[in-house]
Amino acid sequence: MDVGALGVYLCLFLALYFEVFLLISYLEKKPSAKTAAKPAYYPSVSMVVPSYNEEKTLAQTVHSLLALEYPKDKLEILIVDDGSKDNTRSIGEALAREQTQVRFFHKENGGKYTALNVGIVESKAELVGCLDADSFVAPDALLEVAKKLESDPTIMAITPVMKVYHPRKLLEMMQAVEYTFGIFYKKMFDNLSAVNVLPGPFSLYRREIFSTIGLFKHAHNTEDMEIAFRMHKYGLKIANAHTAFVYTTVPHTVRALVKQRTRWSQGFLQNARDYRYMFFNPRFGNFGMLVLPFALAAFFAGIYTAFYALFHMLNYVWGKVADMLATHIPPHIPAAHLTWFYIDTNMMLFVVIAVLGLTFTTIFLGQRISETRLGVSSFISYFALFGFIAPLWLVRAAWGAALSQESRWR
Amino acid sequence: MVWKRYVLAFAITAAIFVTAFYIASRLDSARVADIRATEDSISIDILSSETQFELLGNLDCQTIAQNSGLSDELNSLASQLSVAERNLGDTNPEVIQLKKQYSLLEIKDYILLQNITEKCGTKPVYVLYFYTNSGTCTDCSRVADVLTYLRSEYPGLRVYSFDYNLDLSALKTLISLHKVSGAALPAIIVNNRAPVYGPQTLESMQTLIPEFATLATSTQATSTSGY
Repeated sequence: MDVGALGVYLCLFLALYFEVFLLISYLEKKPSAKTAAKPAYYPSVSMVVPSYNEEKTLAQTVHSLLALEYPKDKLEILIVDDGSKDNTRSIGEALAREQTQVRFFHKENGGKYTALNVGIVESKAELVGCLDADSFVAPDALLEVAKKLESDPTIMAITPVMKVYHPRKLLEMMQAVEYTFGIFYKKMFDNLSAVNVLPGPFSLYRREIFSTIGLFKHAHNTEDMEIAFRMHKYGLKIANAHTAFVYTTVPHTVRALVKQRTRWSQGFLQNARDYRYMFFNPRFGNFGMLVLPFALAAFFAGIYTAFYALFHMLNYVWGKVADMLATHIPPHIPAAHLTWFYIDTNMMLFVVIAVLGLTFTTIFLGQRISETRLGVSSFISYFALFGFIAPLWLVRAAWGAALSQESRWR
Repeated sequence: MVWKRYVLAFAITAAIFVTAFYIASRLDSARVADIRATEDSISIDILSSETQFELLGNLDCQTIAQNSGLSDELNSLASQLSVAERNLGDTNPEVIQLKKQYSLLEIKDYILLQNITEKCGTKPVYVLYFYTNSGTCTDCSRVADVLTYLRSEYPGLRVYSFDYNLDLSALKTLISLHKVSGAALPAIIVNNRAPVYGPQTLESMQTLIPEFATLATSTQATSTSGY
């Protein structure tokens, strides 16, 4: 066995261990089904909508918030225009004029975290939420969040279930699968008290925590990740409301996707560096012992296996070309052996089957949790595309983090 | 944080790895058993042909010639041995044992072919091909590719491939009879002519085997292993 294959086995072992760990967690505590119950108490909520050049989706985003099944006097919407160069400002101002629940703020461009902080400072509500202007919420999402918060007063922040909004193109369908097993991961991280990110679409915070931990920071353009790290630092509980659905638009070109994921991945690496003392530190529970180390391991395992596969593929192709040039054998289809005997059934094949089996299981469970149905085309696009595209952002992010280049929000 | 969960996950993951190893090993064992069964079958076929030859002498050359074609089976066996060698490694004692048995069968088939040629006046085209597994012999695998391709083009071509370094007395005798040197492998011997060493292209091999002119071509795919 070549040394490179040993590295692949190590990556597979880690992947399998992580999946098994999460499945054990699932069996220990299965997510409860959605009920028609209403919360006994409706906390006041300010939803901040940070906007930068969002003229196409801002109105739809705000209208989805206005359509929330929640007492109107308990919900206000704060649109913060972060110095947009398109018509975002005029659209936001018009919405504020038309809707009494909407307030509009305009500021010089300073990045998403500054827009969020304006909203937090302007808010007087018990809960402060964020909804990116490219996302839309299900009408009962806030009710579900309120119920979850009511069930456990120690929850200080809460994330929803994120689904891809109308996936139609191959790249969007690929991301729909990715988001679906992300739903399972997020719920299991909740079980383990180890939620690692409070994503922009519809994460809510009890407002008092900001006086304890401070406002959002630049945090390498991943303020939603950093604030989760910071909350773990202060021992504040983050939960996942798996019955609250939010729909987000996703990049539909490879270029845009790689750019977005490079920002996320590089942000993770840089925040991990800032919070390195949390790694393998039992004081931070499963977040420090499992989620952070495995997220970092997955990052480098992705790069390693991609380069390993690329090296072997190029080596094979080059070998064939060199053989053809040396022997002058014309291109031809070699005789096929159609019996099991000739199938390469080494140990790695069965380990990969196990990893894929558990991956399908997590996607299936993610579908059950989120009441989603993925089509065959989604699975085909995921398994055909992800392995080729993901290494691009992983390598770019590693390169950027190594050189400490800041990735761009937009 | 529950440490028990960490230990349990490790135990389950390790169990999955052990299961994967077990399944792969069982399949490799099944392959070895398959090869052994094929070798036994070929062995009986060769013994049958030899007996038939002795019974009939040169009285019925047509029947003998028709029933002595074990070349395809041997070449198929060679492909199977390639797979076993790839999966289990070329130093695996079981693989070496199977290769020895395979080489013996090849030699017996080769001798039978010589006898039939002598008594019946047939004109077979055959190649003894000697390769090495020690170190990296890129030329060996390329000559094997050329022979495989030629066999697919000329199904009448018989190729007997031998691992030069195999510790088998019958093979050593064959090597010394044909004065094959191990210094410049690969080596090929066409129809008992002098050994030719080194890399070969398709054209150079066709030049070395002018008998191709007498062989029928076919598009029917057959195979020769990398042995």
